[in-house]
Amino acid sequence: MFFHIVLERNMQLHPRFFGRNLRENLVSKLMKDVEGTCSGRHGFVVAITGIESIGKGLIRDGTGFVTFPVKYQCVVFRPFKGEILEAVVTLVNKMGFFAEAGPVQIFVSKHLIPDDMEFQAGDMPNYTTSDGSVKIQKECEVRLKIIGTRVDATEIFCVGTIKDDFLGVINDPAAA
Amino acid sequence: MEKSITVVQKTVVLEPFIKLVKLLVRIFYDNYTPESDNQQKTAKNVRGTAVIVLDALARRQWVREEDLAKELKRNAKELRKLIRHFEEQKFVMRYHRKETAKRAKMYSYAVGGPIDGRAEDNVKFHTHSYCCLDYAQIYDIVRYKLHRLKKKFKDELEDRNTVQEYGCPNCKRKYNALDALRLISMEDDSFHCENCNGELVMECNKLTSEEVVDGGDNARRRQREKVKVWLQDLEVELKPLTELINRVKDLPFPAFEPFPAWEVRAAKAARENGDLNPNDPSRSLGGYGSTPMPFLGETKVEVNLGEGKEDVKSKGGDSSLKVLPPWMIKQGMNLTEEQRGEMRQEANVDGLSDDKKSVMESGDDNKDLKDEYLKAYYAAILEQQKLAAKLNQQESAGESTTTDIELAATSSDRQVGMKSKREEEEEEDVEWEEQASVTANGNYKVDLNVEAEEAEEKEEEDDDDIDWEEG
Repeated sequence: MFFHIVLERNMQLHPRFFGRNLRENLVSKLMKDVEGTCSGRHGFVVAITGIESIGKGLIRDGTGFVTFPVKYQCVVFRPFKGEILEAVVTLVNKMGFFAEAGPVQIFVSKHLIPDDMEFQAGDMPNYTTSDGSVKIQKECEVRLKIIGTRVDATEIFCVGTIKDDFLGVINDPAAA
Repeated sequence: MEKSITVVQKTVVLEPFIKLVKLLVRIFYDNYTPESDNQQKTAKNVRGTAVIVLDALARRQWVREEDLAKELKRNAKELRKLIRHFEEQKFVMRYHRKETAKRAKMYSYAVGGPIDGRAEDNVKFHTHSYCCLDYAQIYDIVRYKLHRLKKKFKDELEDRNTVQEYGCPNCKRKYNALDALRLISMEDDSFHCENCNGELVMECNKLTSEEVVDGGDNARRRQREKVKVWLQDLEVELKPLTELINRVKDLPFPAFEPFPAWEVRAAKAARENGDLNPNDPSRSLGGYGSTPMPFLGETKVEVNLGEGKEDVKSKGGDSSLKVLPPWMIKQGMNLTEEQRGEMRQEANVDGLSDDKKSVMESGDDNKDLKDEYLKAYYAAILEQQKLAAKLNQQESAGESTTTDIELAATSSDRQVGMKSKREEEEEEDVEWEEQASVTANGNYKVDLNVEAEEAEEKEEEDDDDIDWEEG
């Protein structure tokens, strides 16, 4: 699920950036630092949408670096149990398959794949129904439901299922 | 009828509860055999014991386990094991006690068993265990059991929301699907143990694992059908139980007190019923005193208690009226007959004073007079109180003045004596002094400083010990 929230961060800025463009430099550094990171609490920071406020800088003794407390608005993405996501399959093996929904990795184990889909080994491993009408392989898109998340300080990993109504392949690149 | 009062206190176990226990044990524990070393040998004997034991317990309240064993003609050890199991299942309350023959006698007496037979051989301390069914908990346990059963089957049926588990066959480490990212290896497409690099295998649920080892999807589908059938069977077969549970739900649970309390009460009851009950066939048959059904089944709550209550009430009412404090009389002025009676009593109580007597004579029906009397009475009381208050005030004032004087004296003493005291008994005294000054004046620091300065001066004068002063 996506959220638009305000976060705060202390930015250290090198003295060479001090000047007319201090603010721009600060913001671009913030984006570089923050976007794409993941915290267990808020999820993945997808994008910074705006700066709320930049506090007074504090010059660090000895280094000349200045610390600015910056409040910024950003879009975060955090997966939840029970959430339905669309994801791209990245890896298929006999234990199940891995998929990515943006920054989140999701594993769908074999017993959470519908029973009528069988694993086919080969150079393009895939899960196929007996009549061959549906095929799950690398690069194809699936809709899945998250049934478990493991949230570490800097990492989120999910377990999903496609064994439910309206879940499964939504677009097959091979068929297209 | 006298005995009914004592019987009233006994816990009454309603029929549905007994039924519940009986049904429960037949459903879940019919085949239960306590684990033992030589199981094959004993299995024949033991099978069905659970049913017998719980049935027997349902007919009793607290019972000594040995006695139970004797009555059921079972090996005491096995019975103990079984009861222990049921204790773990929270069906049974147990109580262990080291007791001498005397205590044992008390129990025997309590349940009306023969006393003399046992007394001879029980000279030493022996640990005896008593057990009793815990109906309220049984009810909860049963519901929980059913819930778990159904949940297990349902989960099995639609294993949607279960996170797959993996186990390492070599080092027995367990993983689940959430670890998948770490477990995947580049060499082949299976998961590998972090520890020993062995290939992990999927762990099937326990129910299906017997048959689906590597069976693939067909086997799994078959398994699912099976589970479905099981679930249906389960619901059909457990229907009587669920119905019974629904019935029991609204009934009050029979609550037994812990054993010691029960024993005391039962003993008391036995003593009171002494002439009636020992001839009771169930008891004499029971031999070693188990608690026979009368404790459980028959309710003898009725009539007598009610009468007793009424008596008590009226008596109590009388007594309470007698000690009725005067300020209640105001309410008593209302019109009802009883209250008039109250009034009379009140007057009787206070009747010693001469005024009251006269009022009494005229006053039975004449409320105005009473009123007036009361007013006068209250006025008198008020006056008295005022007087007392005044006196008190005076006294307290006197006291306060005296204390003031005393205080002044002491303080002056202190001031005067300060120096001399310090000369005499140095350290402690000074400390005390400091504290006093601090508490007296709110201003802490300044005061200390002043104090210190003063002290310094004095010290200089004294030239005795400067050490404590610094400290």
